[in-house]
Amino acid sequence: MRVLIVEDEQRIIDILTAALRKAEFTVDAVNTSADGSVALAAIPYDAVVLDLGLPDGDGLEVIAKARQGASAVPILVLTARDAVEDRVRGLDCGADDYLVKPFATAELVARVKALLRRPGGALGVVLKAGNVTLDTVGRSATVSEQHVLLTRRELTVLEHLMRRLGRVVPRAVLEEKLYGLDEEVDSNAIPVHVHHLRRKLMDSGAAVEIHTVRGIGYMLAEPKS
Amino acid sequence: MIALRLRSLQLQLTLRLGLLFLAATALAVGALLYQTYRTAESLSEENLIERAQILARFVFERPDGDYDLDLPAEIAAFYAAPAESSLFAIRDRHGEVIAASSPAFAAHVKARPSSEDEPRFFRLESFGPESSDYYGLDLAVESVAGPLSVSVAQSGETDALLHAMLREFVFDVAWIIPVFVAATLLVAVLTIRAGLKPLRQASEQAAKVAPGATSVRLSVGGLPSEIIPLVEAVNHAFDRLEQGFTIQRRFTADAAHELRTPLTIITGALDALEGNGELSKLRDDVARMNRLVEQLLRVARLDSIALDVSTDIDLAAVASEAVEYLAPLAISQERSIALNGADRRVSIKGNRHAVEDALRNLIENAIAHTPPNTEILVEVMEDGKVSVADHGTGVRAEDREHLFDRFWRARGAPGAGAGLGLAIVKETMKAHGGRVVVDDAPGGGARFTLRFQG
Repeated sequence: MRVLIVEDEQRIIDILTAALRKAEFTVDAVNTSADGSVALAAIPYDAVVLDLGLPDGDGLEVIAKARQGASAVPILVLTARDAVEDRVRGLDCGADDYLVKPFATAELVARVKALLRRPGGALGVVLKAGNVTLDTVGRSATVSEQHVLLTRRELTVLEHLMRRLGRVVPRAVLEEKLYGLDEEVDSNAIPVHVHHLRRKLMDSGAAVEIHTVRGIGYMLAEPKS
Repeated sequence: MIALRLRSLQLQLTLRLGLLFLAATALAVGALLYQTYRTAESLSEENLIERAQILARFVFERPDGDYDLDLPAEIAAFYAAPAESSLFAIRDRHGEVIAASSPAFAAHVKARPSSEDEPRFFRLESFGPESSDYYGLDLAVESVAGPLSVSVAQSGETDALLHAMLREFVFDVAWIIPVFVAATLLVAVLTIRAGLKPLRQASEQAAKVAPGATSVRLSVGGLPSEIIPLVEAVNHAFDRLEQGFTIQRRFTADAAHELRTPLTIITGALDALEGNGELSKLRDDVARMNRLVEQLLRVARLDSIALDVSTDIDLAAVASEAVEYLAPLAISQERSIALNGADRRVSIKGNRHAVEDALRNLIENAIAHTPPNTEILVEVMEDGKVSVADHGTGVRAEDREHLFDRFWRARGAPGAGAGLGLAIVKETMKAHGGRVVVDDAPGGGARFTLRFQG
């Protein structure tokens, strides 16, 4: 996995590089938006971490150029200006996610991984959370490398929970993914699937937990290290 | 109050014009009266001279040197009226009275010197049977009976004549004056009103100027030219204020950037260190500082920029997002969180991000104060309210008053808060024309409720 950091503050580059390398990424770093655009055009990166406040102009230009070149590389924007307009502008320009400084490096690594887990992302084929893996192409799940028998819908629920590991997946999103537009959804359908999935994961000794956020949805959490 | 009212341009003008017209009217009436008296006097003067000459015409000298007065009947009747309003006395060249309308007048005239060439005027006060005032004249007349001195007098006729003339004047002319005054005042007041109307519009525009709407300027169109310099000066003042606000906003943004970058570096560097207990304390300190900087910047933003609270937002969606955002934090701290009432839209006017910030503040507080393995309940109500309830120790009654003050912290409060979170919530609700209130949650703990205007 190769990640590009575009950031003018050398100390931040050092810290991010160290953290991402520890998470087994290959990291390149440049200091200006011009260099960033050049690097993006030359090398097929798997993800970009982009600071918006660059000395030679707005980081948003880097996104605009990349998207014009039809690059779908996931871009995580860093900004020290959390004014609403800045966030919205970033996402409108084609950024995939944003982090407001100051942030914990662990959070940044998690966000980069989450971007890569998105469908089409570099980690899109096999998802991992704790001792659970899910093959999105082969449609199968394992716990500690032991196959777990899940129904199609349980597998879909687990996939979306794993793609957004550590964040809440609204129930409405799961309903949308599981059922067609014209299908009548029983209000109990999702809770029932989650209940079964939870039971099966627990029975096979999974080190992840599905938390219920009543009124919103569900969240998959890795055990605390 | 009176001083204030006197400052009204309309009132001032009305008062002053009123006084001016009063003075002008008095002057005009005075002059007219004077003229009238003068005219009346000369009229009665001519009248008396004529009477004297008529009387002289009927005096004849007898051969024996005596004089006869042979008045036609109507003239004799005129002078013989019992009220004796008209008197006469005729003297010969020796000053002897030839004839008189009454013996009293004859006696009076006898004492007077004979008249010379010019008519001589006199006044008689409290004379005759009715004690009236008379005015009269002595006139020397050349008659067929030789030079005579004729004295005639008339009681109070001047006044009667004058009154008649004045009555005529009042009915014919003077009524125009008050009407004219009223009309002029009306025109003056209406002119001022019309002239000041654009000023009232300018005032309405000025009322719209606020920290969030600094680009409003007063329009000069239609204003009286005397007021345009003032309005332009006010507009220039607005320009300078807007500049000040822009600088303030930029400062907040710059301060955010300048503070956050080094904090990111420190946070990241500490994360990367392997270490002992001291290090984790240091991390907590930095986390606390991060929060403080974050909240200070929010306060600065709330102070310097008025929120645009005019957007139609869905309180249920905002609450969902806030709960979704903070659920991982609650779960990682072994608390659970639930949302009620978010399955239907609750429309309010507001600023989405500010409301979500306020709600997050309340939820973060609840996570910090509710014991492990309890649930935080966020509830959206259809009448534009959202509440956050925890199962902590609640808020003491004596603390409720200060709870929302900046930098206020409960005595012995745990945690690392700076005491800004609830101040931000309060400011946000103030900007929305709403309120934040705290009470006891059913089953113990604190419940904070944000009330928006329906």
